[in-house]
This record gives sequence, C-alpha cells and structure tokens, in this order.
Amino acid sequence: MVVANNPHLNACAIVGIGATEFSRNSGRSELTLATEAAVAAAADAGVAVSDIDGMVRCDMDFVQHNALADALGLPNLSFWSDVGVGGGAPAAMVGQAVAAIMSGQASTVLVYRALNGRTGARYGQGDGQGAEGGGGGSYLEYFSPYGLNTPGQMWSMLARRHMVEFGTTSEHLAHIAMTCRENANANPLAQMHGRPMTMDDYLASPMLTDPLRLFDYCIETDGAVALIVTSLERARDLPQPPAVIRAVAQGVQAGMQPGIAFPSMMRASLTTMPSAPTAARLYARAGMTPADIDVAQFYDCFTMTALIQLEDYGFCAKGEGGPFAASGAIRRGGSIPINTAGGHLSEGYLHGVNHILEGVRQIRGTSTSQVEGAEVSLVTSGLPIATSAMILTKGVL
Amino acid sequence: MTDLFVPTTTDHDTGGFWEAARRHQIAVLYCASCDAVLHMPKQYCRRCGSFDTAWRDVRPQGSVYSWIVVERQIHPAYPAPYTIALIELDDAREARLIGHLPGRVDLQAGQAMIAGFEDHETYTLPVWRLASV
Repeated sequence: MVVANNPHLNACAIVGIGATEFSRNSGRSELTLATEAAVAAAADAGVAVSDIDGMVRCDMDFVQHNALADALGLPNLSFWSDVGVGGGAPAAMVGQAVAAIMSGQASTVLVYRALNGRTGARYGQGDGQGAEGGGGGSYLEYFSPYGLNTPGQMWSMLARRHMVEFGTTSEHLAHIAMTCRENANANPLAQMHGRPMTMDDYLASPMLTDPLRLFDYCIETDGAVALIVTSLERARDLPQPPAVIRAVAQGVQAGMQPGIAFPSMMRASLTTMPSAPTAARLYARAGMTPADIDVAQFYDCFTMTALIQLEDYGFCAKGEGGPFAASGAIRRGGSIPINTAGGHLSEGYLHGVNHILEGVRQIRGTSTSQVEGAEVSLVTSGLPIATSAMILTKGVL
Repeated sequence: MTDLFVPTTTDHDTGGFWEAARRHQIAVLYCASCDAVLHMPKQYCRRCGSFDTAWRDVRPQGSVYSWIVVERQIHPAYPAPYTIALIELDDAREARLIGHLPGRVDLQAGQAMIAGFEDHETYTLPVWRLASV
C-alpha cells in the first residue's frame, strides 16, 4: 500500500485494555473507577503497574494525573498530557501516547477516562443553566438566554438541517439506534443488554428535542476505561495480540469556531463536520481507503453524530447516510459493521474511549459481535468542534 | 419561578452586540479593512490580518436556517414546549442568531423572521418572530 509520509506508521500498539462496570450509579469516586480500569489494563497487557511511565488524560476528566499516579503508586512517571476538547480527544489521546513513546519521553503510556456521567456532572444537562453568565470566550450569552442549553438540542438542530438538505428521516436515524441496540444485546456488559428495540419502540420513545427522540440520545454512564500503549517492538514480547496503531489523525474545519459546542452552528455547513478533513488525513497516513476498513466504532453521542460520519469517513456519499444506515450495511454482516459493543447509544457513554477498547477487541477477535476476519479497525472520536480518529490493524499489514 | 438567564453584556469581544440591543438594533462585528463578517465576534480578521474591527447595525431580519422543538424541559425558567430557531441574518449570512418562540411552531427552512427587542432591567434581549405573523 502507498503510504504518505507517516513516521508513526506501525510504530506503536495498544497492548492492554481495562474497564469497570458501566452503570447508572457506580457508588464510587471517579478516582477509584480510574484506578480500577488502569490496574485492569496493566494486568491485561501483562505489564506491572509500576512500569507505567506516561499518562494521557482527557481535558474534561475530573481525575488529574497526579491523583491517579499517586493512587497507583507510580514511581517513574515521566510524561503526562491533557487532550481536548472533551469527546473529540480519545484517538488524539492515543496519538499523544504514540508521540511520547516515539520521542523517548515514555515507554508505557496509560490512556484513561473516568466519569460518573449519570450520578455526577451530567453532560446532558448542558451549559448556561445558571442565573447569569456567558462571556470569557464561552459565547454562551448568544445562546443561553433563549433556552438553548444542551448538546442534544444542538445536535437536533444539525439533524434538522440534514433533513432539510437531504431528506433524512427519523426512520433513517432509527436504524443507527437499532443497530447499536442489537449489538448491545450481544454484549452482556452493555447497559442496554436484554432490552431489544424495534422500529415501533424507537418511534414510540419520547420526543425530547424534535427531531431527536430519547433513543437518539446516548446513555449517561458511570464508569471508567483505560488502555496501555507501548512500542510495537515491546508489544511483541507481551501476551496479547497487539492492536497495531497504523495511523492517528486530528483535524478541524475552516472556520472551526470557539466555545464548547454551540458556536459550531455558525460554520458554513452544518452537515459536514471536522471528521471529513480528519478522515482524508487519516486515510492518507494509513495508505488506506474506506474499502479497507473491516469494522468501525463511530462516536455516537447521538444517532445523528454517527450518521454524519458514515458520510464524512467515505462509506457513502454526502447526504446518503440515512438510506445507507437503513440498508443494513452498518449491521453485523453488512459492508461496514459499526459500534459492535453497542456504542454510546446502548453500551454506555465513556466519552469516546470505550470505542477504542472495542476497536482493540475486534483486532483481537474477542468482540461479542465479532466481525469475522477483521484486520482493519477504525475508531473515531467526537464532534462537532474538532475531532480525531485512528486505524488499528491486526499485525503489520 | 426561577429567573431567566441574564447574559453577560460587558465582554470585550461581544459587548457591542448588547450595546446595540439596548438601542433596539442588531449589530454584527465586521473587519474594518476588508468587510469580512467576524462572527462569533473576535478582534482579528483571519481573511486580511487586520485587528481593526467595527460593530455595524444590520437590518433586524433574517430567515430560518434550522429549528427544533424542545419538549423536555431543562432550564426551570424556560417552560417546554418551545421552539428554537437558528436564523441567518439577511445582511450578514455568515452570522446566525438564535430565536426562542413559545410553544410548538411549525417552521420551514427559509421562512422570514424579524427581530423585536425585550427590555430587561440590566439588558435588552433581541427576540425573533415570524415575519408573517
């Protein structure tokens, strides 16, 4: 395969993954959750916890590096980094780990995400709920006085625009929700395991922010996930089959806009996201095209988020995400199975990092909705501000 | 009843919008050198590199670019259902503003909207409605 200049091609691998239970009430601190996931990831990788010498944290995580390093008793921490914004970070967090390893700043890097997303700070409640505010670069003063407060409201605005431009329907969105639910029903650890969803169930779910319903929204979740990145050379001496990091990319759009989310509605297009330029960069670095991807984990805070990425990552033409989703292509056995652990919509919302774990499981062959013969695994991170994505492979292809 | 959200009106980059609203005008920040619309407001023009900017009053009219109906109440002072419109300004299409319409309003893309102004003690809020109503 032809590969653009990409010094990190096949340089590193994900060698360990760990997770806590995903629940609606962990009953524990985020520090405890992060610690449990980190210990589990190290054990899975076959490395001693004390070998961890680097850490990458999401900028919205309440667990700081020093707190987790203290809890784990790390004597040799020599690299730490924060990556944001929020859900756009996860693949870029792995990219930071790769950069640290390749530059000799660390050898065994822990990437983690812990949140009591249901019982702690609930992202679904959004911003601007106080009595006053805005300013300081938040630009909330343009939005909050009108009762525009939540990510769900904003994604509903983007969904409506997609419907206006391309004729996308609720039934199209339903197929993304039902696909995730189907996969969750194969995954005993998913929050929605044992709760099948039909089209009638989807259409009967309460309208929260027309055009999006309850089942277009992901599940606020308590839990933590962690993974270990090291060099491919070292990975070959470790017990798990390495998920080789073929390429990582971050990206923004022209006129990317400030703030946490709402100013993104000022961009020229509401139906093309930073995932489009990020996809082009990622494929160039990997020397691959969408046809090479066997399985994908798309960030799905809402059904619409995943639908736009089907287009932006080139699995169908712009505007055809709805009919493509409804065709069955995204289900197990389809041309591009997505969100095989259930996604944020039905497994749980660990802010994009649980998608990396599932991307690794597909490479190992251990997913509960395993794509037979999967060798190339795409994982994407959140929208709409700025995003990141990566391609993992089974061995060096 | 909980109070409405009170916007900050003195921010370095957005204060001009609220000064204009107090005068019952809609203002947009422009680059004074090349006329680019700088929205969300910021004091540097990425098109021509100028730091010379100016607020300019525009006609208080626009059209519906997208919209939602909020059925699940979040903020206690904003009773559901209500409709939120994303409005493109006729004079500055690069700038979009938000409109709040009580109840479920069956909007269509491109419908004409006009702004009025609601005076509060410390600020004035532009409020949008359908031009045809």
